[in-house]
Order: sequence, then C-alpha cells, then structure tokens
Amino acid sequence: MTASVTAGGKPRSAIPVLRVGDTLLVTVQIELHDAVADAFQEDLLVTIEKTGARGLIIDITGLDMVDSYVARVLADTGRMARLMGTDTVLVGMRPEVAATLVRMGYGMEGVRTALNVDEGLGLLHTLQG
Amino acid sequence: MTTQVMAQRELQIRCEDDIVLVRQAVRVMAQQLGFDAFATAAVTTAASELARNVWTHAGGGSALLEEIRLAGRRGVRMHFRDQGPGIADLGRALAGGFSTARSLGLGLSGSKRLVDEFNVESTVGKGTVVVVAKWARFSSTTG
Amino acid sequence: MAVDYMSLLKLDERELAQRRAFFEITDEDLARVAKLRDFAARHGDAIVDDLYQLILGHADSRAFFADETMVRRVKSMQKQYFLGLFAGNCDLRYVQDRLRVGASHERIGLEPKWYLGAYGRYLRLLLDRLFTDFPAAEAQAAFRSLSKLVAFDTALAMDTYIAANLDTVARHQAAIRELSTPVIRVYDRVLLLPLVGTVDTHRAQQIMETLLLRTVEDQAKAIIVDIAGVPVVDTKVADHLLKTTAAVRMLGAVTIITGISAQVARTMVQLGVDLSSIETRARLADGIELALAKVGRVIAVKA
Ligand SMILES: Nc1ncnc2c1ncn2[C@@H]1O[C@H](COP(=O)(O)OP(=O)(O)OP(=O)(O)O)[C@@H](O)[C@H]1O
Ligand SMILES: [Mg+2]
Repeated sequence: MTASVTAGGKPRSAIPVLRVGDTLLVTVQIELHDAVADAFQEDLLVTIEKTGARGLIIDITGLDMVDSYVARVLADTGRMARLMGTDTVLVGMRPEVAATLVRMGYGMEGVRTALNVDEGLGLLHTLQG
Repeated sequence: MTTQVMAQRELQIRCEDDIVLVRQAVRVMAQQLGFDAFATAAVTTAASELARNVWTHAGGGSALLEEIRLAGRRGVRMHFRDQGPGIADLGRALAGGFSTARSLGLGLSGSKRLVDEFNVESTVGKGTVVVVAKWARFSSTTG
Repeated sequence: MAVDYMSLLKLDERELAQRRAFFEITDEDLARVAKLRDFAARHGDAIVDDLYQLILGHADSRAFFADETMVRRVKSMQKQYFLGLFAGNCDLRYVQDRLRVGASHERIGLEPKWYLGAYGRYLRLLLDRLFTDFPAAEAQAAFRSLSKLVAFDTALAMDTYIAANLDTVARHQAAIRELSTPVIRVYDRVLLLPLVGTVDTHRAQQIMETLLLRTVEDQAKAIIVDIAGVPVVDTKVADHLLKTTAAVRMLGAVTIITGISAQVARTMVQLGVDLSSIETRARLADGIELALAKVGRVIAVKA
C-alpha cells in the first residue's frame, strides 16, 4: 500500500492527512478542542475538494474523550463530505468513548463506523462497488 | 459522616480554550483517584459539557474542582458557576432535546446521566451553579 | 499481594500532620516518651508476656496462633512494636511500620475486637508500671503522652482493617461481575454473551462495558447477545439492549439479539418498543449463522 502526504495548503489543524489511492486517511491524535476541531473540518473539506477523494477514513483511536461538540464536528464532517460525493467511515472509537456517547444520548446515527483502518477501507470498497 | 474535601482547584472559564484546561485537569484528577477508563471518560465528558455551557450560554465563569472522600470512597466534585442569564425553564433544559442555541440540547441532560450526583441552581438574570460528583468505583486493582 | 496501605489511606505528610494535630501529639509528647526508653527496655518482655496471657487465655483469639513457634514469632514482633512506641518520632516511617502490623493482623483474620481489647490492656499495663517506677506527676505526664500514641496507633490499625476489608469486598464484586457476564468467543471475531438472570441498571452498564472492551480486544465484528435466560424483558431491559447495540455499532461491529420468545416479541410490540434497528432472531442457532455470515463464513451441509 502506498501512501503520500497531501501537498499544498497549510494544515492549520496540524492533523496529518494521508492519501491512499482515492481515499483520505486522517488520524486524530491530539485532543480536538474547539478551535482545532473547526480547523480540522475545514482542512479536510478543502483537501477533498482538491483531491477529489472518494472515501474518507477518520481514525479516532487516539481520542479518549469525545464530547457533544467533537461528536457533532465528526458527524457533520461526514455529512459535508457526502455532499461532495465522499463517503466517510469513522474507525477505532474506544470502548469508553462509545459508552459515554450512548449514555449521553448521542447514537452517532447516520455515521458509518468500522473497527479499524483495514475494515474501514474494506467498507469503502464495498460501498463504492 | 460528611463528605471531606481533600484537595481543590479553581479554574476560570474566560475563553474557549479554558474548556480544554478544565477537562484536562478533571482527567488528571480522575486518573489519580483510580477511576477506570469508563468513569474517567464519563466525568471528563461531563466537565467538558458543563464548562462549555458556562462559556456559550453565560459568556464565562469558573469551575471549582474538588477531590472528595466519604467513608473510604473517593470521588471528584465539580462546581460550575456563572453570572449569566440563568435558565428560565430548568425542567425543560434538564429533560434534554431543548436548546436555546440551536443545538441538540443534550449537554445538560447527558452529563446528568454520566455522574452520580447532579444539582442545578439557576436564577434568571443572576446566574447558574451546576454541582456534580462522581465516585470511584470499587475496583479490583488496588493490590 | 502487598496492599499499599500508605497510598490507599492517602497517608502523606499532610494527612499525617492532620492526624497528629487531632490526636494532640506534640513534640513534647515525643520527647517525653523517648526519655522512657530505659523503662521500656526494662519492662518490655513482661508487658508482652502479660498481653499474650490475655490473648492466649481466650480460645477464640488463641485459635489464630497455630503453634508455639508462631507465638514466639508474634511475641518478638510485638516487642518491636512496643519499643517502637518509645522511639520518639511520629513520622511517615513510624506510620508505615504501624500499618504493617495492622495489615499482618488483618491477613490472619484477627478481628478489631481483639486489637481493641489488647490495646486496652497495653494501656493498663503501662499505667501500673509507670506509677510504680516514677513519682505520680511524672508518671501521669508520661501516661498522657503514651496514651495519645496508642490512640493514634489504634486508629491506624482500624483504618488498615477497614481498607483491607473494602478491598476484599471490591475483589469479590469484581469476581461476581466477571461471572455474570461471560463473554464467549464462538468463532474468530464472533462473540456470544448468554444473559442469564435479571438485568438491572448497574448490571446493564457492566454488560455494556464488558462487551465493548471485548469487542475491541477481539476485534469482533459480530456480537450475539442471547436473552433466552432473562426472565422479564420489559421496556427498561429493551432500552439497555438498544443502548448496548448502539454503542457496539459505534465501534464498528453489529449486535445480534437472540432468544426472543413469542412472549417477548408480543410484549415488545405491545409496549411500543422499536427493536427494528437491531438484528434479532428467535433461536441462538440462527443468530450464530447470521453472525458467521458477517465474517464471511457459512454453515453448510456436508455433501
Ligand atoms: N450555564 C448556563 N447558563 C444559562 N443557560 C444555560 C446554561 N447551561 C444550560 N443552559 C440552557 O439550557 C439549555 C440546555 O443545555 P444543554 O447543554 O443541554 O444544551 P445546549 O448547550 O443548548 O446544546 P448541546 O447539546 O450542544 O450541549 C441551553 O440551550 C441553555 O438554554
Ligand atoms: Mg451544552
């Protein structure tokens, strides 16, 4: 599998975006606090526009807390990407994060999920037939 | 027996980034008290929601974080105070799904479900105080 | 396993200072007991012997001491403990030493009543000898100082005892929790949780946490929850199942609920519970077949 870092544009969110074929892979490792979350969303959408990527995988293994704000940013990003013709899969959510979100009443409905990056790629593959 | 306060720390919420500082402080406190990953995530998320409410709905305020102890059990108590507009219809705000900020309105009701003790006092025009507490579970890892 | 009582009881400099203040142990007290070292050395053996007469004189407390060797060992420990009272310092090292004694008693199951009784006799034995050896005023002052230290020690012993007990309870609870959520790996990346018994809120939370942890650990794609053994499936239980399913879905796996009887199906619909978002089956066998399909396997009849 070859991966190349997307060139151009200053990544204000400092969250690296990798390109694997026509799929973008984003690994969120730092805490997505409010300003970063917004920048992250914008960066991603601009990258999609530039690359015409068909799939987007957001890996949140590194997040030990997802509050309503971050949950919304993640879900909205997926929706926005969809409008641009890109399918999004959220992968690697931690057990404690899922339990917390569910207890709060956030089901993340309408967001596609997978256990890990490989599964995410597989899911995108079936979606795009 | 009364709840003992073992340590406390007050943080101001004056900008959006302060929300991050509050939840980081809460996370460290919970971990030091031996909260497991689920309890840590729960209390940190509740802190984030309540601190954000102070910021978005009241324009700022403070968070007082306390390490508490009662009959050998340890926990975290947090007081979120502001002098904002107050909550006019507390019942509706707590029921969930109600928001004056065109949001999902799950912050208040959601954090209530994440903690063991939850109390709100709010006076319209004066401000709001939300006090929550979460206890460490008996864990099997003390050995 | 050695339990770290110092940290369990949060015994740091601050807590120590607080305790010392509360038990009114002053530097003069410590200096005064330190001066009694000769007295302690003189009477140590006799006092310890006397103490053990009390302990060994009662069948119940005697039962804790297997044989003569053990008695000799604990007596010599007791002597060290006794001399420690006269060390003249009440610092964290002293506390640690005291906690060790408390912990070793807890380990052999010696109950608080035995300690308390023994501490009482300690004080009386000291009182008598102090008044024999010293002028009344001096003896009284010495006794006051020593009784503060003994009270301080008693509190530490009790705290150790309580902490050790809570710890035991916690271990049992954890063991019971484990037992009540046995997650079975039926196939590569397929888990099965047979639920038996009532599902209250507390247990539901346990179940959810265990399932989520196992899902990630095993990278399971399908999780079968069999509810045939749950006596009453009401809206509350259904709600828990829905939440668990939603959480599992967020991780990227699917939940299949099996063991739905005709009765349960009827009640769910009558109660207006919408389980249509979950994959459900009446029989466990069908659930397993469905789960295997999710990991790309089929059960086939051998030709
Ligand atoms: N500190 C506060 N001061 C004033 N009003 C508040 C405060 N906290 C909550 N509220 C009111 O209660 C409502 C519900 O709060 P809640 O946190 O549940 O939802 P929200 O903040 O609107 O949305 P979100 O789901 O993003 O948190 C808010 O819309 C607001 O009207
Ligand atoms: Mg809110």
